[in-house]
Amino acid sequence: MSSSDGIGRLRAIERQFDRDRISVADLKSLEDIRTRYLSRKAGLLTLELQNLGKLPKDQRADFGRVANEVKLKIEASLDTLQATIAEREKQTALGREALDVTLPGNRRRVGHRHPLTIIRNEIEDIFVSMGYTVEDGPEVESTYYNFDALNFPAGHPARDPRDTFYVSEHMILRTHTSPVQVRTMEKIQPPVRIICPGRVFRRDAFDPTHSPMFHQVECLVVDEGITFADLKGTLERFHKRFFGEKTKTRLRPSFFPFVEPGAEVDVSCVFCDGSGCRVCKGTGWIEVMGAGMVHPNLYQFVNYDADKYTGFAFGGGIDRYTALKYNINDLQLFFQNDIRFLGQFA
Amino acid sequence: MKVGYRWLQEFVDIPETPQQLADRFTNVGLAVDALEIAGSDAIFELEVATNRPDCLSHLGVAREIAAIYGSELRTPKFQLREAEHRAADVFSISISDPDLCARYCGRYIAGVKIGPSPDWLKARLELLGVRPINNVADVTNYVMLGLGQPLHAFDADTLAGQQIIVRRADLDEKMTTLDEVERQLDPSMLVIADAKRAVAVAGVMGGAETEISSATKNVLLESANFDPLSIRKTSRALGLTTEASYRFERGADVEMARFACDRAAVLIEEVAGGTIFRDVIDVYPRRRTPVTATLRRQKIQGFLGVPVEDAIVEGIFQRLGFNITKHSHDGWTVEVPSHRVDISREEDLLDEIARHHGFDRFPSTLPKWSGFGSHLPFESDERFLRSRLAAAGYSETIPMAFSDESTERKVRPQIAPVKLINPMAENEAVLRTSLIPSMLRTIQWNTYHGIRDLQLYELGKAYWDGGETRSLIIAATGSLRPKSVHEAEREFGFYDIKGDVEDLLRSFNVAMQSAVNSVPAYYHPGRSVRLGDLVVFGELHPDYARDYKMRHRIYIAEFDIQLLFESRIRGSIEAVPRFPSIRRDLSLLLSKGIKYAEVEQAVRSVAIPELAGVEPFDRLESGSFPESKYALAISLTYQSEDRTLTDDEVDVFDRRILESLTERLGAELRQ
Repeated sequence: MSSSDGIGRLRAIERQFDRDRISVADLKSLEDIRTRYLSRKAGLLTLELQNLGKLPKDQRADFGRVANEVKLKIEASLDTLQATIAEREKQTALGREALDVTLPGNRRRVGHRHPLTIIRNEIEDIFVSMGYTVEDGPEVESTYYNFDALNFPAGHPARDPRDTFYVSEHMILRTHTSPVQVRTMEKIQPPVRIICPGRVFRRDAFDPTHSPMFHQVECLVVDEGITFADLKGTLERFHKRFFGEKTKTRLRPSFFPFVEPGAEVDVSCVFCDGSGCRVCKGTGWIEVMGAGMVHPNLYQFVNYDADKYTGFAFGGGIDRYTALKYNINDLQLFFQNDIRFLGQFA
Repeated sequence: MKVGYRWLQEFVDIPETPQQLADRFTNVGLAVDALEIAGSDAIFELEVATNRPDCLSHLGVAREIAAIYGSELRTPKFQLREAEHRAADVFSISISDPDLCARYCGRYIAGVKIGPSPDWLKARLELLGVRPINNVADVTNYVMLGLGQPLHAFDADTLAGQQIIVRRADLDEKMTTLDEVERQLDPSMLVIADAKRAVAVAGVMGGAETEISSATKNVLLESANFDPLSIRKTSRALGLTTEASYRFERGADVEMARFACDRAAVLIEEVAGGTIFRDVIDVYPRRRTPVTATLRRQKIQGFLGVPVEDAIVEGIFQRLGFNITKHSHDGWTVEVPSHRVDISREEDLLDEIARHHGFDRFPSTLPKWSGFGSHLPFESDERFLRSRLAAAGYSETIPMAFSDESTERKVRPQIAPVKLINPMAENEAVLRTSLIPSMLRTIQWNTYHGIRDLQLYELGKAYWDGGETRSLIIAATGSLRPKSVHEAEREFGFYDIKGDVEDLLRSFNVAMQSAVNSVPAYYHPGRSVRLGDLVVFGELHPDYARDYKMRHRIYIAEFDIQLLFESRIRGSIEAVPRFPSIRRDLSLLLSKGIKYAEVEQAVRSVAIPELAGVEPFDRLESGSFPESKYALAISLTYQSEDRTLTDDEVDVFDRRILESLTERLGAELRQ
């Protein structure tokens, strides 16, 4: 036996391995082939190596070098195969776990705040950030606080039972949140800086723009040196915060018994940015509030010094602001509480 | 109030187009509801504020235009030709109730010929939507629309005794008005009467028997001034609003009565012929007291924000008809014209200056302030509550506050509701006394619209005779989770509402109240709980659900939120345990009828400080055990703050707990 024979056999084993390797498809056949070539007892390469001792000493080195080379090559090849097969089998396993990810997700039911609450909170937060205090008061109110102390003369049309719900001769459902202003002024001397959000009632039949029950927010400031310009600035600031910085505010002279000068407040149409559309009837403006300088007659009712103090007041419908914010054209939706409507709010 | 562009031009020069004028109107407070271009003319539909009756005429609106453009106002000029005969010789006028009639002017015009008006007059009226009647009636309407003074023309020959008496109506007096309706009068109403009977409801409508007819020869023309409040009450009481009552109840210009009377007489003569008898019979018992008002110069800046030039202030006063009687460095004193019934004090004058100078000329500033703002006292609690409810799946509702008494009494039999004298409808005659019926109506609405799976809440007011309070109701029905491709359906049940109640109380850190069995009658007696005054919850009684035609089980919980918020404890947070806990499970057999609360009580009565939790996790009603028993598996969690517990220690705890269960409840360990 010569070393060249031995090396030839080693090379034959190597070639055979290269052929066998191709058929390895899974970890099982990989293990088979490993055993077949490298098994400590019966591996083809192991057996061949056992011939090392039979070789002449001077040939052993050559044979050993080739044998080692072949062994390393087979081992490396098997390791690579193993990694490849393992990766493939993992992919197959993951593939079997695949879901139809296009099915809808499991939805947990989450509740929704009523849009009127969302907007009321938003309005309150704006005013609180500007230094206002939130006040509230009773909804079943006396005619004194609702009318008399607000400079509504006896016989004023607003007092008519066609417009106002009466509980008794002197008790009504408040028609605005202004009584809270009077109640607050009775309690504290100026400076007064409040807003009063709340529920009010008027005898209007339900239709898309009227409801016998709705919500208002009113604002009152009384202090030394409060001016009409302050009223304008405050309204502008509020509307920019509420509708967006590009919103414009306009005051038109009007009349309310408890203010003078009185004004209707318009904002530039939030739907067309003032260029004219269906909602603003082409005018570019939407009426949102009544406003004015506090009528000095009111100060007499609450013992304020009318020479020392001036003030402004304004008020608008929370329902209306909500309708404008969400482009809702039917107030009845607010009170039907249809979950298909409510579910659209966060 | 409609005004015509060309008619206005008779009173004042208008340098701008109708469209431009409309914008000016808006800026001075005459809201333009509509502008209609009619050929070479234009009609403005103005919304005149209730305090500005002076603008209910072309002359009045023209005066505003004069102030807008700085033009001159032209009052109508006419030539009055009177006969020799004195009106006072053929007619007498007296006012019995001067408190309700400040002035009554009458003119006697003899020998008129009634017929249709000339075309120019008819056209004028028709343009403003007024139907022409006959020449005399048309003149009264024309003068009213022009000058703002309501007028009435009587057929003088139908007036008994050739006299006019302005008096209160008698008790039970009746009169048929021009619209052929018999009116029941009473002494609160002022009438125009002749020697025998009422012939007109003063300031509202004339009578049918004395109206101008084709046979009328002689006319008595009335131009008077009546008390606004009295006219308003009469108009309301009779359900009769006319152009005349509309103006009188807002306040007509008492000084216009005589001028308008003359103007109308001249026009009648022009279009219907006849002779105007000499002199107006002018009964004027309550002469107008002149009104003056003072505007301090410094007040303009102090009240409006910036100063306004003297020339501008004075120009506005002059063109609006205010005579400046005193002018000094300090300011102006003006005489208020009689047509401005709304003006008496400084703020009124400031309003005029602000309006006519232009609101947009004033700057925008923010009030100086050194204070701070704040929400309502429990606002943060309320917002927290809402966020918890939303997370638990509940959506907020805001129902109407109206209800009917029998519905409310079913829920709150002892509470007297707030009753409305003038409700919109029979079933909306009271304010609700609880949140229950309105919540059930909301569920009903949604169910009728095909939505059965609901979790709803309301934070709202209930009312009673003498007060109102806010509370919380939560309600659920249908599926908690509807059937889906992933999961089976899961009905909402008693333990779901209970869990939601417990979660809420836990989130507010409120000490759990002990359960009491006294729940209101509208709850299912076997499926409801009251926890002190804080909350009542459970399944709605099926009888009650049936009232709302609801076949599904409905679960509700009612909270006293004031108590909830006030009981909220913002406790300190405990550190996370450093040592491991040990969980042990006990599987027990118990006699049926033993409640879980008793089991937990028996466990806790052992008073083991290391016992951190008791939790039931399985319950079997039947199995390999006697029928009188049920199986309950509970888990016990032990935890020490200062050491790792050993199995031996915990074995002792288990044994002591089991002993307690056996002793107190006859529990056995299930094998």
